[in-house]
Amino acid sequence: MIDLNALDELLRAQEGDAGCDAGVPIMDQYVDIVLRGEDPSKQFPGTTIHLRVCPGCQADRDGVLEAARRFGDLAPD
Amino acid sequence: MSVEPTPTSATSSTRPAAPGDPVSRRWVEQLRPGHARHQQAVAKLHDVLERAALHELHRRRAQLRALSGPEFEDVAQQCANDAMMNILAKVDDFRGLSRFTTWAYKFVIFEVSGKVARHAWQQHPPSTEEMVWEQVPDTLGDRPGDQAERREQLAALTQAIHEDLTPRQREVFVAIALNDVSIDVLALELGSNRNAIYKNLFDARRKLRARLADAGYPVAEEKARP
Repeated sequence: MIDLNALDELLRAQEGDAGCDAGVPIMDQYVDIVLRGEDPSKQFPGTTIHLRVCPGCQADRDGVLEAARRFGDLAPD
Repeated sequence: MSVEPTPTSATSSTRPAAPGDPVSRRWVEQLRPGHARHQQAVAKLHDVLERAALHELHRRRAQLRALSGPEFEDVAQQCANDAMMNILAKVDDFRGLSRFTTWAYKFVIFEVSGKVARHAWQQHPPSTEEMVWEQVPDTLGDRPGDQAERREQLAALTQAIHEDLTPRQREVFVAIALNDVSIDVLALELGSNRNAIYKNLFDARRKLRARLADAGYPVAEEKARP
């Protein structure tokens, strides 16, 4: 077997990948799980796989996470 | 590709008037039209959305080289405005499965994501060279001693890309995997969307991986990462 990490990355397509659209409605839940220090792969295994591979969705996840961390859980009043 | 499961309670037809933790409930109640504090709540949320948008735009500034300081603030305001409209339209869709603010940040980050992609596409649409190719660049692996084997593997990969992929799969794989074109920029260029392009890429990768294995050049097994 030829083990080239670069080629493995180039052809990465992991079984169970939920795709981009599946992460949109649950991205807030996913981020809150991460903020609680818990493992999001238990509740959202397909999106966890997807986020390892898709740079666009990674950037969105990181953005929501950063906003939630930086601007916090403020109250309306 | 699948839809992630959600708790069954979240889809109950007897949804509470304002779900979630106490702070989230207050947001939902006060953002509803007619509440005595509606305007204050809208203003406070808009303010934090705009600050979050500005921060996110700076985080993605590598894709926004044509923007200057004041333009960042204009785009941040547009993102906050658009997110605010969506949030007000969908506030009763909030099911309390996350904190309300995290739910709201999601809207503004998606607005930033879309506007950044559109800006990047308008400034630098993918070139012909990034969409069409003849040969896989020999940049994969650089260990001495396996040059011949690597060339054979790359030749097999090149052949598989030509013979096994559909034209759309080839176009997507060449642009994203071989030329680092942003998936969102490519989606705009092709009049598609991120999910459809990702599906093309996923299917292309699986086909190529299978073809290399059949040809006697299996790629290392995929492993779940921590």
